[in-house]
Amino acid sequence: MSSEIWTEKYRPQTFSEVVGQNDIVKRVESFVNSFNIPHILFAGPAGTGKSTLALVVVKQLFKNTWRDNYLELNASDERGIQIIREKVKNFARTKALGSVPFKVIFLDEADALTQEAQQALRRTMENYSGTCRFIMSCNYSSKIIDPIQSRCAIFRFKLLEKKDVDRVIRKIAEKENLSINDDAITAIYDGSEGDCRRCINILQSTASISPTITSDLVSTILASTKPKDIKIVLDYALAGDFEQARERLLDIMLKQSISGQDVIKSIQKEVWNLPVEPELKMKLIEKTGEIEFRITEGSDTFIQLQALLASFVLAGIGK
Amino acid sequence: MQTWTEKYRPKKFEDLRGQDLAVKKIQDFLENFSNEKAKKKNAIILHGPPGTGKTTLAHIASIESNSEIFELNASDLRDKKRLDETLKPAIEQQSLFSSSKKKIILVDEVDGISGYEDRGGISELLDLISSTTYPIFITANDIWDKKFSSLRSKCEIVQLKEIEYKVVKDILIQILRKENAFIYNDILTSIAIKAKGDIRAAINDIQTISNNPSIANPRDIDERNKEVDIFSALKRVFKEKPSTEILSVYDSVNMQLDEILLWIEENIPKEYKHPKEIYRAYDYLSKADLFKGRIYKQQYWRFLVYENIFLSYGISSSKNSSVPRVGFTSYKRPTRILSIWMNNQKNLKKKTICSKYAKYVHIGEKRAMHEFPVIEKIINSNPAIKKELKLSDEEIAYLES
Repeated sequence: MSSEIWTEKYRPQTFSEVVGQNDIVKRVESFVNSFNIPHILFAGPAGTGKSTLALVVVKQLFKNTWRDNYLELNASDERGIQIIREKVKNFARTKALGSVPFKVIFLDEADALTQEAQQALRRTMENYSGTCRFIMSCNYSSKIIDPIQSRCAIFRFKLLEKKDVDRVIRKIAEKENLSINDDAITAIYDGSEGDCRRCINILQSTASISPTITSDLVSTILASTKPKDIKIVLDYALAGDFEQARERLLDIMLKQSISGQDVIKSIQKEVWNLPVEPELKMKLIEKTGEIEFRITEGSDTFIQLQALLASFVLAGIGK
Repeated sequence: MQTWTEKYRPKKFEDLRGQDLAVKKIQDFLENFSNEKAKKKNAIILHGPPGTGKTTLAHIASIESNSEIFELNASDLRDKKRLDETLKPAIEQQSLFSSSKKKIILVDEVDGISGYEDRGGISELLDLISSTTYPIFITANDIWDKKFSSLRSKCEIVQLKEIEYKVVKDILIQILRKENAFIYNDILTSIAIKAKGDIRAAINDIQTISNNPSIANPRDIDERNKEVDIFSALKRVFKEKPSTEILSVYDSVNMQLDEILLWIEENIPKEYKHPKEIYRAYDYLSKADLFKGRIYKQQYWRFLVYENIFLSYGISSSKNSSVPRVGFTSYKRPTRILSIWMNNQKNLKKKTICSKYAKYVHIGEKRAMHEFPVIEKIINSNPAIKKELKLSDEEIAYLES
């Protein structure tokens, strides 16, 4: 069944379709051709093809029976090693179907596991190595404990280059009958930080507005998906309207589900753009730091943020 | 004066309301006991919450079976020797005075028997049960303790339910009628509900109220006091000059300090308008929260003292002039927690949508939540995607809202 979600619809199904990462693809392909793979660790930034390559591996290994022989777990969702162990055990208990003598478990975002969980995982890997191969993915291999790294063939994925992303976008645009120019592609690439999956998502959400993709349209979409900036809140506070500032802040935090820590981060960046004297800026930064510290010690983030807003109100009369 | 609970204690099974099933079981038990062939157990346990009629049922059983009741309290069952002396003669009397009246033995509140103090109490009771020629009634609030396991196996067990509030209210009305007393209907209803199935408590309540008509409903008064207290406490803190008396302003408020903190948070800007006042007040609030956090993290409850000082004297001293303020300020009930809760309810759907999407496109749920603004646009762009992801009607409604 073909999907209407483009990241799925245009996900590469064979090694030759995978864009970029040529050396990695070649080496992994040779494993698959010998019908034997080691435990594998894919390390690299988001949207560079780690999950895609893992899926290609199992599809090429198992062909039609890949769904029966493949288990996908996301370590950032599956809380605790206990659940992973249970699932792994249940999955590994039965023999692999077909000609390949093992099954494959894909453990995505493995760097989300705690040290203890990784230690336990290492035992699990050993216990089931006869019947199971692990493919793990992570953003930073340094967060994976050495014993696991030493049991795996490690592949480091690089950020996709602009020409690779260019190819992907043009191919999709052609299939979906979109018109797109170089500027728009650049806008998508810049907005994605090299994450190919994000590129495709931005493309699809832009295309839902119009089949003619321009850089302006892309910018509009990107702006509408970014958290509303905290500047409005600070403007109200500096103008002396504490109640408005407070209400806006609560609204932003709730509607966009932003944590207090994120708010404080953007306030700290925003201070430099405020129309106040350098001396006052430093005072506000100091207060921001103090409040960030109190957030780590206190119990109610919003109370602390209100105290910070009150400092801005006070700064407003001195400006 | 006789208490109404004694005066109106039912004398017949048919007068006792709300426990029909239990009555039936007791009648069967008594019938079977007198019939050697049908006899199964020598004792019956009536257990249930206070005021549901356990002791009353045992008394009615003695009246209706024309027996004399021989009553033992937990205090009589101090130990084996004492129990022997008290109970044995009662049971063996039959051989001496065979013509004497039938008997029922009532062991009241058996859960008062404790393992150590009343050592032997339970095993003696078990002996009694196997040797008795009279039916034994046992009452208890909670019979499921491990120490009663052998007792349970030797007895019929009848559970008494809490009496429904409507039945309770009905009984109360009948009593009031006979006493020529009057209580307002809604107060009566609230007493019946508050009693939580304890008819004795409810009858005591109406007797108290009809003797002192000035008391309306104790619970109503409680609720009203609470509100008045927080408003007047806020008024004192915000309007009065800071003084050491202000330190105890929250003592009379029937509310946790953490909840009071939210009331202050909501109302600071209602009262303090000058930036300096706002700044100082929220700084103290922030410090109060700091200590609240430390209390929770370190379980060091003495910090509560500081939380209270910041919230009382601190907030009070935040005003610009130390002259007391006049004028009326309308304080508001805290709304933030409610809006957070409502928002979380709304976000539940977002979460389930992200979970479905994440599985489908091989990413983590957290990442899907993070990228929701883009994902939302994509899903909304094509009904086929909603079908593909098997979104529920509620989830689709959430996306379209």
